[in-house]
Amino acid sequence: MRPPAMAHRLLHLGMLRCASLLVPSRQRAEWWREWKGELWHVQRACAPRGAATQEGERKVAAFCRGAFQDALCMRQTGRQSELPFAEMGGTARQCMLIVAALLAASYAGSLLLPGVRAERSLWPRKVNPNLVLIEQAGSNGSRPTISLRQLRGWEGRRQKYFDGFAFYQVTQQNVDVETRSNRPHGKARWGVARASTNFFTLLGTPVAFGGQLAKPDDGMLAVILSERVWRREFGADQNVAGLRVRLGSRVARVAGVASDASLALPGSVDAWLLDSNAENGPGGSGYVIAHLTAAGKVEMWASCVQITASAPDDADDDLLGISLGDWRPTQQSLYWFAILLAMLCLPAITSVSLGECSVNMQRTSWLKRINRWSFFGLKIAMVLPIIYFLSLDMAYGCTAIGCEQSVDIQLVSTFAMCLFGMRWVMKDHRQRCPVCLRRVAHPAQVGQASKTFLGWNGTEMMCMGGHTLLHVPSLPTSWFGTQRWMYLDASWSFLFAGPGTGIENDAVAGVL
Amino acid sequence: MAREAKLTEAKLSHTAALILQALDGGFVYGFSIMEMTGLPSGTVYPAMRRLESNELIRSNWERQSIADAEQRPPRKYYKLTAQGKATLEASRRRYPLLERLIPTEEAKTV
Repeated sequence: MRPPAMAHRLLHLGMLRCASLLVPSRQRAEWWREWKGELWHVQRACAPRGAATQEGERKVAAFCRGAFQDALCMRQTGRQSELPFAEMGGTARQCMLIVAALLAASYAGSLLLPGVRAERSLWPRKVNPNLVLIEQAGSNGSRPTISLRQLRGWEGRRQKYFDGFAFYQVTQQNVDVETRSNRPHGKARWGVARASTNFFTLLGTPVAFGGQLAKPDDGMLAVILSERVWRREFGADQNVAGLRVRLGSRVARVAGVASDASLALPGSVDAWLLDSNAENGPGGSGYVIAHLTAAGKVEMWASCVQITASAPDDADDDLLGISLGDWRPTQQSLYWFAILLAMLCLPAITSVSLGECSVNMQRTSWLKRINRWSFFGLKIAMVLPIIYFLSLDMAYGCTAIGCEQSVDIQLVSTFAMCLFGMRWVMKDHRQRCPVCLRRVAHPAQVGQASKTFLGWNGTEMMCMGGHTLLHVPSLPTSWFGTQRWMYLDASWSFLFAGPGTGIENDAVAGVL
Repeated sequence: MAREAKLTEAKLSHTAALILQALDGGFVYGFSIMEMTGLPSGTVYPAMRRLESNELIRSNWERQSIADAEQRPPRKYYKLTAQGKATLEASRRRYPLLERLIPTEEAKTV
């Protein structure tokens, strides 16, 4: 075969191959086989013995162009009939598949979105309500007020109201960070809090992406980054744990990231350097967090406790303990609160009646009724987790960890999705045939309200399985208040003949 | 019976009737129907798909051994079904020139 003829042949095969991509996959192999075989014959007929003429090539090309029309035709007819999914339009199984796919997608989103993952790694983030920040009365947390000398005095004595203290002191330090990326990194200046090693343990604050709070094996101190610095300096790298950071003259290893929101403590802190010798620091004042005993908690009044501490010089210090208890709700409590609100609001946007009282109990077996209610329960059981995961995706997918807006987004989105999700569940259930659970279709308006005074007018819908007709009144009246099901007997069956009966075929053949 | 009576009254388009007539005339694969009717491939093949889905024609693949013996790819042959023949009869009444355009096998042998 001469090179131009070979090129033409390849071009024609390429056209057919492109067209075959339009054919539904299950029919593609046979379609390709037929067209390839036919092309061989067309080429032989148009170019006998390889002697291709311009006219012949044009004919072959025209033949190949027709393949696209054929492929499109198969695609259109395939859409109507090829998939079992199309055959089960409106069935309970299709509904379950769609809802299950949504559930899987929303769950996958919560697993894949970095913000949601980070948020989940910080759960539970609720700060222990028995924690108080101790400061001099009247200081309002604006400056550190507790000296190391005072703290040592408290720790040295037996305490009735407190059973643990943590100390931190914030200083500005030059920092040199190591990043995994190759981008050059200059020196920065951070607010570094030298904290006692029990700091995060006492607060019960989770640390994301690491969690090794003890001294690393190499003897270096552990540093916990604030979320702000983690994003700014490390580009929200989730493998940040283990990187070295030079803080002033000391080298520390990153042990994790703490949410800014969960550490809403005084002092602008960019990193927490956990040092067992924190209390032997450069001196000066710092902040003290204390854990209340049961007796101490009794003394709390309006999130505060008045403390009178004996100073080493026998003078009394007037101190104030301010509760660090986190007022913010957890994701779960927010979710359930929004669900409750939505349930209360549901009657305002849809009828909560399921029309059950109108179902002819004589015509549906116990099994069918159990199936119907199981289906209803299953839908709710699947919709609620979808709402939960989607609300997390929306709230934390693109906001900072612990951002205040996330709480609002989660609350509003859960409320809205639950409201409309439950509305869909109710409406869907009302329009499912009690016999086969298929959705009724082909709504037809019957009667006119303006012309049929005291007569019935509304919408009629039909079960495509031929079991029932659903009558929904346009204007609920005392004699026709809710929807009614009418069960169809065998005399209606001719309307619902299946594909094998020839009725559809006649109709289709008539328009060929 | 009622179904058959209804089918014979079915109204085919001229193209579909022409393809049925070509098949009845012994042109049993796509390219030969194209050549006989003068219709382009983009018309003939989709029409045959519809005719097949409506059970007016059916197709079957030629045996591989036959194609191998003749050193060519196997072909997909089409054939009228009983339903298709009845529909074609009805179409001939609707399009009287159909038989003159493409004579049937019987007409050719006479």
